[in-house]
Amino acid sequence: MLVVRDLVKKYGNFIAVDHLNMEVERGQIFGFIGPNGAGKTTTMKIIATLLAPTSGRVTVDGIDVFKEPIKAREKIGYMPDFFGVYDNLKVMEYLDFYGSAYGVEYRERRRIAEELLELVDLSDKKDAYVDTLSRGMKQRLCLARCLIHNPELLILDEPASGMDPRARAEIKAILKELKRMGKTILISSHILPEMAEICDSVGIIDRGRLVVQGSVEQIMQRITGRIVVRIRVLRDMDRAISLLKEQPMVTGVVEEDQELEVACRGSEEDLWQLLRVLVSSDVPVVSFRMMEGNLEQIFMEVTSDEEMAL
Amino acid sequence: MKRWLYNPVLASSLKTRMRGWRAAAAVTAYLGVMLFIAYIFFQINLQSYMSISSGRSVGLRVYLMLAILQFALILLVTPAQTAGVISSEREMQTLDLLLCTKMSPFSIIIGKLLSSLAFILLLIISSIPLFSLVFLFGGIAPEDIVMLFLFYIITAFAVGSIGIFYSALFKRTVVSTVVSYITIFFLGIVSVILGVYLMSIHYSQIPRPSDYYVPLIFYINPAIGLSDLLFRQAGVTAPNAYYGILAWLFGVGLGSGSPQGWFQSLPLWIANSVVMSGIAILLLCASTWIIRPYKRVGRKS
Repeated sequence: MLVVRDLVKKYGNFIAVDHLNMEVERGQIFGFIGPNGAGKTTTMKIIATLLAPTSGRVTVDGIDVFKEPIKAREKIGYMPDFFGVYDNLKVMEYLDFYGSAYGVEYRERRRIAEELLELVDLSDKKDAYVDTLSRGMKQRLCLARCLIHNPELLILDEPASGMDPRARAEIKAILKELKRMGKTILISSHILPEMAEICDSVGIIDRGRLVVQGSVEQIMQRITGRIVVRIRVLRDMDRAISLLKEQPMVTGVVEEDQELEVACRGSEEDLWQLLRVLVSSDVPVVSFRMMEGNLEQIFMEVTSDEEMAL
Repeated sequence: MKRWLYNPVLASSLKTRMRGWRAAAAVTAYLGVMLFIAYIFFQINLQSYMSISSGRSVGLRVYLMLAILQFALILLVTPAQTAGVISSEREMQTLDLLLCTKMSPFSIIIGKLLSSLAFILLLIISSIPLFSLVFLFGGIAPEDIVMLFLFYIITAFAVGSIGIFYSALFKRTVVSTVVSYITIFFLGIVSVILGVYLMSIHYSQIPRPSDYYVPLIFYINPAIGLSDLLFRQAGVTAPNAYYGILAWLFGVGLGSGSPQGWFQSLPLWIANSVVMSGIAILLLCASTWIIRPYKRVGRKS
């Protein structure tokens, strides 16, 4: 759906984006992670046709965004990291205005606006003035705004920043619904555990370069060379530990809260082998689960060298 | 409405601009100022003029006073209406949202300008009853008022374009508003001083001038265009009335000589309108160039 090739953006001598390459598959949620000033917003603005790159190519559904920006804009819904709402406009009028700016016919945009307000749970606020809405409501309205022309790719720059946990949960639920509707989403955020929860894959950008790209699990493996699994056994904890330590793929075993946290190298195939060893040795395994990747840990590992260099 | 005629920015601005008490208060205040000054004028002058002048003369004087007053108010109000239209979009952080829609930067600029001009037009139209006072006395034909209003609209278009240009150029509304008023001051006052200076140089080099010399800088001053129009309507028959008066300062008789070229032989207010409109179009194109996405630099990386 989205292909970025060798993207470079320079401001004088400063390189904001440095030969960035990435791909986002149709229907995926792609998390774009990086410290402040890493080049996230610049990259997103370039994809949203708001900024010209120094060099490189971006295509959205096969459309070159620099050669055919108007055509590309039909496919893209962009939500910047600020609210951007007019005062003196009512919620319905706000959506209607942007719908007309995207060239959506009057009846069609009224219908879509009604549906979107339902999606973002603002139906009862459609006659309220935009500036009377709470921060969370405004953010949801902005999300609805970038959907008014039914785009296939959503570019969301820190949509949950500065919001309370309830509002973040609401945004997260909407994003999951949008994914279910088949939208492709490129999202940047600082709240890493949430990214791990909702993203199919992530890219970590640092100093304009995409340092790592892949699923959270893949990145975890690539960066730290390990998978972490939590195993609960009914009894024979010591025998289980010694059995695990004998396995070549296991790099560490820690007993924690009546469970074993096992670090190991390899693939999911190796995990299956590990489980088979335990079960075939009559260890009463009642729970065996791969841990969600700790994005924060990966993020720190990936960016730490650069930070140290500073 | 046909899509190519429909401008979402204009439609939305018209709706929100007229919402609430502010627009009504602005129109009331505008007419209130005009009425107040007209009343003072009547109080001071009317009785004495009535006793010694004809009704036509009084009508003319009332007309000239209202015309100049309305012109001054338009010069005062238009920059305030236009100098913030793009910069406020930046301040509200909505410009990017507009630019990533299918609207072109030019249609955004035109929509903003037209919505501001529509409000100025409302002020002008709402002053028609006040101008109808002139017909009580006679001396001015309805077509004179139509021409005057046409000149107002052209002036508002030109001054509005200056406001839009600065609004696109500067990030902050305060800066663009101040610079707009400074530019209007330059157009109104400094251009006359410069023009007279250029004329003095011109005529000091030619002891017996055989042509009319109109400094180019006069063409960018709407006040000179207005004075030419009013002189014509008042019945002064010199080809370029205002120039004639200035030339008088340098010893050039009204009847002597001929204009230098075809453009200078045009009535000064028409030439003035053409030049101001041309500059306004250039400024609108420049504003479009400034805000178009691929020329702008991102604020944050």
